[in-house]
Amino acid sequence: MRERALAAARGNTDLLALAVLLLVLLIAYQHYDSSLLTPASITILSAQFLPLILAAAGQTTVMLTGGIDLSLGAVLALAMAVFATYDAQGAGGVITAAVLALLVAVGAGAVNGTLVAYAGLPPIVVTLAASFLWGGVTLVVLPQPGGTVPGGLVDAYNNGWNGVALPAVAVAVVLVGWKLLRTTRHGLALYAVGGNEHGAYASGLHTRGVKISGYALAGVFTGLAGIGLAVQTGSADPTIGAPYTLNSIAAAVLGGISFFGGVGRMRGTVLGALVIGLLTNLLLFTGISPFYQLVAQGVILVVALALKTYLTREAAV
Amino acid sequence: MNARSVRGAVAVAATLCALAGVAACNVQSDSDTAADPSGSASSAPQAKDLKVGWSTIYLTPSWMQQTLKMLQADVDKLKSSGKVSAFETFNANGDTSQQIAQIRAMIQQKYDVILVDAGSSTALNPALEQAVAAGITVVAFDSLPTSTKVIRVGTDQKAWGAMMATWLAKKLDGKGSVIAMNGPAGVAVSEDRWSGAEAVFKKYPDIKIVSNVHSEYNLAPAAQAFASAYSAHSDIDGVFSQGGALSAAALQTLVKQDKKLVPITGENYNGFLKLWQTKQKEGFSSIATAQPNYLSVIALEAAIAKREGASVPQDITVPLPEITDDNLAQYAKPDQPDDSYPIGDISQSEIDKLIGK
Repeated sequence: MRERALAAARGNTDLLALAVLLLVLLIAYQHYDSSLLTPASITILSAQFLPLILAAAGQTTVMLTGGIDLSLGAVLALAMAVFATYDAQGAGGVITAAVLALLVAVGAGAVNGTLVAYAGLPPIVVTLAASFLWGGVTLVVLPQPGGTVPGGLVDAYNNGWNGVALPAVAVAVVLVGWKLLRTTRHGLALYAVGGNEHGAYASGLHTRGVKISGYALAGVFTGLAGIGLAVQTGSADPTIGAPYTLNSIAAAVLGGISFFGGVGRMRGTVLGALVIGLLTNLLLFTGISPFYQLVAQGVILVVALALKTYLTREAAV
Repeated sequence: MNARSVRGAVAVAATLCALAGVAACNVQSDSDTAADPSGSASSAPQAKDLKVGWSTIYLTPSWMQQTLKMLQADVDKLKSSGKVSAFETFNANGDTSQQIAQIRAMIQQKYDVILVDAGSSTALNPALEQAVAAGITVVAFDSLPTSTKVIRVGTDQKAWGAMMATWLAKKLDGKGSVIAMNGPAGVAVSEDRWSGAEAVFKKYPDIKIVSNVHSEYNLAPAAQAFASAYSAHSDIDGVFSQGGALSAAALQTLVKQDKKLVPITGENYNGFLKLWQTKQKEGFSSIATAQPNYLSVIALEAAIAKREGASVPQDITVPLPEITDDNLAQYAKPDQPDDSYPIGDISQSEIDKLIGK
C-alpha cells in the first residue's frame, strides 16, 4: 500500500511541486484578499482564468502531437467574434451562436492540422502563417470591437448562477472529458504520434489523421476559450486574442507538457494556467511598481520551470 | 534513495524560499499601507484621502510616459492638499484580459477612484460597470470604453479624421490621388479616425484613395508600409495620415528619396514637427492635431469633482488643438527627442469649464 502511494507520488513529482507552488500563491493571496475562499471570489477568479485555462488546454492538445500552435490567439478571437456577432437572443440563440463559433474554431484547427500533416512543414511555420490568415478572417467578421452577448448570461458567468461558479464547472467538465478521451483509442493515438511518430506509423496508426484530429480537438478548446472570453467581456474584440498564444504555451510548459510531444497531463496544464493567473493577480496586490511586476513574474516563472525540470530529471534517474 | 532525498531537499528549500519571498512582500505592503491611513473609509462629501488607481493598456510608449508625468504632477498637488492619499499605476502591457484583472483587483482593494486607458472599447465594460456598482468613481480617458456608466474624457476621433481630410482636400483643390496611412486594423481609434476622414473624402469624388495602408503607430513599420505603397504609386498628390509616427515615416521617405514634398497630414509627434519645420521653406505644408496628454489630468480632476458632489457630465469632449503652418513654431521643439509629443499645459479654468464645475 505504502509502496503504491510512494510510486504515485514519484510519478507526480513535477505536478506535486506545481501544486505546492499554487498552494503558496493561494496562501499569499489569502493574506491580501481575505475574501479569497468565498463563493463570490471563486466565481470572479474562475471567470477570469477560464479563457486561459481553456486556451492552454488547446495548446496542450497540439503540443502532445509534437506540434505547437502560434495561431491559437487568432482562432480564439475568431471564435469570439463569431459568437458575439451572431446577436443571440434567448437560450436557443446562445446555443446556435456557440455551435457556430465552435464549428469555425474546429474548422480552423482542422485546416491547421491538415497543413501540418500534409504540407510537411514545421508546425511553427504553418501556424505562424495561419495566425495571419485567421487574424484577417476575424477582421472580416468583426472589423472593430463590438457584438453583443445577452446581459443575463454575462451576469451569470461573472457573478455566479444561483450561487454556482459556472466557469469552474466548465473546467471540471473539460478535465473529466479529457480523462475519458485519454483512455480511448483516439486519446492514446494522440500521445503515440506525439511520442514517436514513426513508431506509431509502423504500428498501423494513420498518423496524419491523428494529427488533424488533434488540431481539430484543440480547436474545440480554443473555441470554448473564445466563447468564454466573449461571455466574460460581454462583447468581442478582434485584437484581444494575441497574448493568449504565448500565455497558453507558458501554462502548458509550466504544467509539464513537453515541447517534443507525447509527454504531459492535462491536469498539469490546468495547474500551470492557475499558477500564471494567480501570480499576475497577486502581483497586483503587492504594490510593486508595474515594470518590476513584469520582472518578478518572469523570474518566478523561470525559477519554477528550472526547478520543475530539475525535479523531473532527478526523478527519471 | 540519495537522488530522492536531494530532490526532497530542493522541494522543501524552494517552498521555504517562496514563503520567504511572500513574507518580504508583506513587509513592503505593510509599510505602504502605513503611509496610507485606510483611505477607503472616506465616504464624506468632501474629497479626502482618496485612493486612486490608473490602469493603462500600455505604459512604455513615450506618449504614455508623458501622460503619467502630467498625471503624477497633478496627484502630487492633490496629495499636498490632502484630497488624494495614494496613487498606483497598473500596466497591462497590451493584454486586455490582464487589464480586466487589474480593475477587479482594484475593486477588491476598495479603491475610491479608478482611471482607465482602455485596451478594448468593449471588453472592459462589465468590469468597469461592476466597479461603478461598488461605488467607485470610474473615469476613462484617451482610449475609451463604450460603457455609458463611466465618465469618459476624450477627443472626438472622427473629428480628428475629418479635420485632416478637410484640410487635405482643400489643399489639393478637391482632386488628386492620395495614399491613406491608417493605424492597425480592428482598433477603435484607428477605425474612427478613418471613418471621419472617409466621410469627408466622399464629398470630393475627384480625390482617389489609391492605397489604404494599415500600420502600427510606430516609425519603423510605418516607413516600410509607406515605402511599398509609394513605390506602387509614386505619382500621388498627397498623403492622409492619422498619426504622427505615420506622418513622419511618409515625410522621411519622400525626403530620403528626394521626391516632391506633397502635403501630408500630421500629429504633434515631435519627429514630424521638426522635419516639417525644416522643410517649410522648401514649400512643405501640413496640418496637425494632438491627443493632449492633459486628458489624464482632466480625468483625475473630474473624478475628484464627482466625489465632491459636482454634476460632472458623462462625456467630456476635449477640443482638438490645431497646429498649422502659422503656429508650428509654438509646438515644434528642436531641442527635444523625436519621440515626444510637445503640448502646453491646460489651465485650471479650462479644466473647470470642461468638467462643469
